[in-house]
Amino acid sequence: MKKFLQKNAPGYVFLAPWLVGFFFLAAGPILASLVLSFTKYDMISPPQFVGLDQYIFMFERDRRFYKALQVTFSFVFLSVPARLIVALAIAMILDKGIRAIGIYRALYYLPSILGSSIAVAILWRQVFAGEGVLNTILAQVGIDGPNWLANPSVSLYTLVTLAMWQFGAPMLIFLAGLRSIPQDLYEAAEIDAASKVRQFFAITLPLLAPVIFFNLVLQMIDAFKTFNSVFIISNGLGSPADSLLFYTLYLFNEAFKFFRMGYASALAWVLLLIIAAFTFIAFMTSRYWVHYENERD
Amino acid sequence: MTNLTRRKMLGVMAAGAGGVAASSLMGTSAFAQEMRIRHYWWGNPSRDERTFKVIELFQENNPGVEVAGETVGWSDYWTKLATQTAGGNMADLVQMDYRYLFEYARRGAIQPLDPYIGNSLDVSNFDQSALDGGKVDGQLYALNIGSNTQVSIFNTRLIEESGAEFDPINWTYEDLMRVAVAVAENTGATFGTDDLSLGYVFWEDWAQQAGHQFYAEDGSIGGRPQDLADFWQMWTELRDAGAAQDGETAISLLGTGMNETGLVTGTTAFSYMWSNQIVGMQSLMEDTVGAGMLPNTGGGSLGQFIKPSMFMSLTRDTVNAELATQYMSDWVNHPEATAILGLERGIPASSVVRDALAPSFTPAEKVSVDYFSAVQGKVGALPPPPPAGAGEVNDAFQRWGTEVLLGNMSPLDAATAHFDEADSILARA
Amino acid sequence: MTDSVLDQGPISEARQVARDLRAAREKRERRSRLLKHIFLSLFAFFMLYPLLWMVASSFKPDNQIFGDLSIIPTTFMWQNFTEGWYALRESFTLFYWNSTLITVLTVIGNLLSCSFAAYAFARLDFTLKNFWFALMMMTLMIPYHVVLIPQYVLFLNLGWVDTYLPLVVPKFLASEAFFIFLMVQFFRQLPRELDEAAMIDGCSPYKIYWAIIIPLSLPAMATAAIFSFIWTWDDFLAPLIYLNDIANYTVPLALRLFVDAESQSAFGQLFAMSVLSLVPVVVFFVVFQRFIIRGIAMSGLK
Repeated sequence: MKKFLQKNAPGYVFLAPWLVGFFFLAAGPILASLVLSFTKYDMISPPQFVGLDQYIFMFERDRRFYKALQVTFSFVFLSVPARLIVALAIAMILDKGIRAIGIYRALYYLPSILGSSIAVAILWRQVFAGEGVLNTILAQVGIDGPNWLANPSVSLYTLVTLAMWQFGAPMLIFLAGLRSIPQDLYEAAEIDAASKVRQFFAITLPLLAPVIFFNLVLQMIDAFKTFNSVFIISNGLGSPADSLLFYTLYLFNEAFKFFRMGYASALAWVLLLIIAAFTFIAFMTSRYWVHYENERD
Repeated sequence: MTNLTRRKMLGVMAAGAGGVAASSLMGTSAFAQEMRIRHYWWGNPSRDERTFKVIELFQENNPGVEVAGETVGWSDYWTKLATQTAGGNMADLVQMDYRYLFEYARRGAIQPLDPYIGNSLDVSNFDQSALDGGKVDGQLYALNIGSNTQVSIFNTRLIEESGAEFDPINWTYEDLMRVAVAVAENTGATFGTDDLSLGYVFWEDWAQQAGHQFYAEDGSIGGRPQDLADFWQMWTELRDAGAAQDGETAISLLGTGMNETGLVTGTTAFSYMWSNQIVGMQSLMEDTVGAGMLPNTGGGSLGQFIKPSMFMSLTRDTVNAELATQYMSDWVNHPEATAILGLERGIPASSVVRDALAPSFTPAEKVSVDYFSAVQGKVGALPPPPPAGAGEVNDAFQRWGTEVLLGNMSPLDAATAHFDEADSILARA
Repeated sequence: MTDSVLDQGPISEARQVARDLRAAREKRERRSRLLKHIFLSLFAFFMLYPLLWMVASSFKPDNQIFGDLSIIPTTFMWQNFTEGWYALRESFTLFYWNSTLITVLTVIGNLLSCSFAAYAFARLDFTLKNFWFALMMMTLMIPYHVVLIPQYVLFLNLGWVDTYLPLVVPKFLASEAFFIFLMVQFFRQLPRELDEAAMIDGCSPYKIYWAIIIPLSLPAMATAAIFSFIWTWDDFLAPLIYLNDIANYTVPLALRLFVDAESQSAFGQLFAMSVLSLVPVVVFFVVFQRFIIRGIAMSGLK
């Protein structure tokens, strides 16, 4: 008994703030949303229990639900790798000694701050318009570009590009990770005349793996939940022709535009399960490629 | 120990979660503070300043009373209102829009005002039509704080440069074609007019000119697929002639603010809005704007109508309905208050107030008021309230219209598909 | 020719070659440094074009902002700044104060409470650890919009609506799983020998947390501080829902009062105030990114 206490006490002491927060602030609302997913709830009148009806409707009859899934999955698979690669590349350039590095870091981080402001959304819409800046430049080299936001066959790629532009957060985390790699390893490698490429694969990648893993999981979760940028760019509609109908945007409109909070809750729990499945897979595979300094297996 | 810890934890979890879940389902009542009422509206800096002045005026005239003004932007307003409604914590008075009025009224989130009329609420100088616009199922749920009507706004400089002429109060789509082509050919503007293929309001006008009520009394969607196909076909012809914006541009403007319209960016000479937006449009432009009615289709019926641009509603969570309706009453009658508010929210519904305001109009306000007077007698009755699900039908309309604009579907196919989808949406709602 | 014999032999030649090589290498390095700067600045320009446009627009009158993509303003409307500051019911002085208060408290709360939880997950062993970790990850996955209403009801019942409590208290209770997970990943990278050595010296886990883990995780803590600052400073949804009185509003919430897509907007002032709202974020970033440095102690230990 005493031994049990000794083993568990420190852990629970440190976890106490989170436990209190979870049970008193987070768990209730999360459970409530699960309960609501089995009800029809318009937020004004009391919810009515309908059992599994909404889940059945979703899977059997809701075409836009499948459309939203398709758009969201495409976005996740395109934007997450792209953003991570750009972030890592820039972080590695910035990691090496270079004058005025602080300024560059700040400059590269800025887009991520601006990301969802109204002012920038207005600008993007002008840049990507049919007669916009981008097409004016493309016309110089003889390319007749489409309207990048109004053409359903390219609009998603435009959004992926915008997501790449905001690589600030993963970049900063990569940078912090690179800075945690002991420099003497590289020095030793230099003495052994290992090439830069070899150093990257032998030292940087393995030691950065925990951070890469973190960025991968978090960027994936974020990408599945993409809302602000697409809400602003597509004026909350997911247009043109539902090509930007992101899952959370669909969910938000169902809830707050069409007063179907119950259905939105059901949508949310389906998304939660999807994200959880992907995260679980990521954690399982991580055993094979993420090794931690302190864990000896 | 393990058991104890676990049991304790489970107990806490159940208490926390259950409590919240239960209370979220039942809703709670607001704190009663009798001489304090809350007024919630969406706005902009100018509107906020005017509204706070009126609040101060009311507080001066009624010592001991406190009015808390709460304001957010339009795009955030409805999310917050829905959340407060769910929590049972709505402000006593909320600004209401025609689009949402029926949702809130039929579900009991706002109260009928009829019991207060003649007591704390004075509407004796109101136009009857203005009052009717706030009625849901025969009861007055919303007080008109401004009226508007559809309008074609145009750039007077570009029209003059084009050399084409038309009578803004009585013109047809043929005139539009002629003028728009002239603008595109003779002036710096790229196109003659913004494209309306995705503008539900204008399709509504088109269907009503063709003699259909929109929505019909039984709550079904007005018009027939052929009417919609004609509407989209006509805009296709305007685009093909280079008179209207290209399809992709029209699509990209869906849901944007007035700042992105072709009229404001100088790429076209015509945009289409509600008449209370004339002043706002002018503030974003260097050229002078003019106002005209929507073009005639030749259908013979009156398509346009005057509707309330904004309402004030009394919520079910109010703590002092008497005081709240008295405040409302001052808002639409008190000479000083109405002078402060001016035309910012639309044309006042009280004839007395309108006359009192007349001498102090700015040029843009004068355009707006003159236009409003000019359309009197040329507009039809306010159509019946939209059924539940109307908002979704609107969104579906835009999706099918997009297919037409992109050239993926013929107007008739898209129109037929839209009517089918509208039926199933209305059936589900 | 007075050069000595040595200067003409193979040694001198070798010396010359070495000198040339060094010169060439220096030249190459200089050039590559220059290229790197050129690349970085060009790239930065593309990245920053929107920001520059925003700054330029903040000097323009409302009727010139749209349809003009130039980043060089022709007029300088300083009024956008001076009038914008006082354009709303309360001045921006108050909004900045409110935002600063909330943001600073949030940063402190996040750093403390999340590092606590992260330390437990990364370095301590206890029953049900994986279960709690999974639950924590779950809070990251649920779409925020569906918990909004139950959460609002909860805080309403606590009487916290229209105060800063709903915005700040959760941060002291490690509500941001993102930071917990981030710190866990960094803490797990620290050599375990450190803890063991300290343990043998009689250090408690609490002492180890405070004296070893935190000081060695400066880059991670600085990163977390930067993110919490920026995200809190920018956040508008929670303040929107929980704050009613305009005197309690934060900067981003105030910014949204400028725009009314359906009616009159004050775009020039919006842009001016948007530019100013970036200043604290940039300052905080520049100051705190200095802490993202090499872990000196760590490389020494290896």
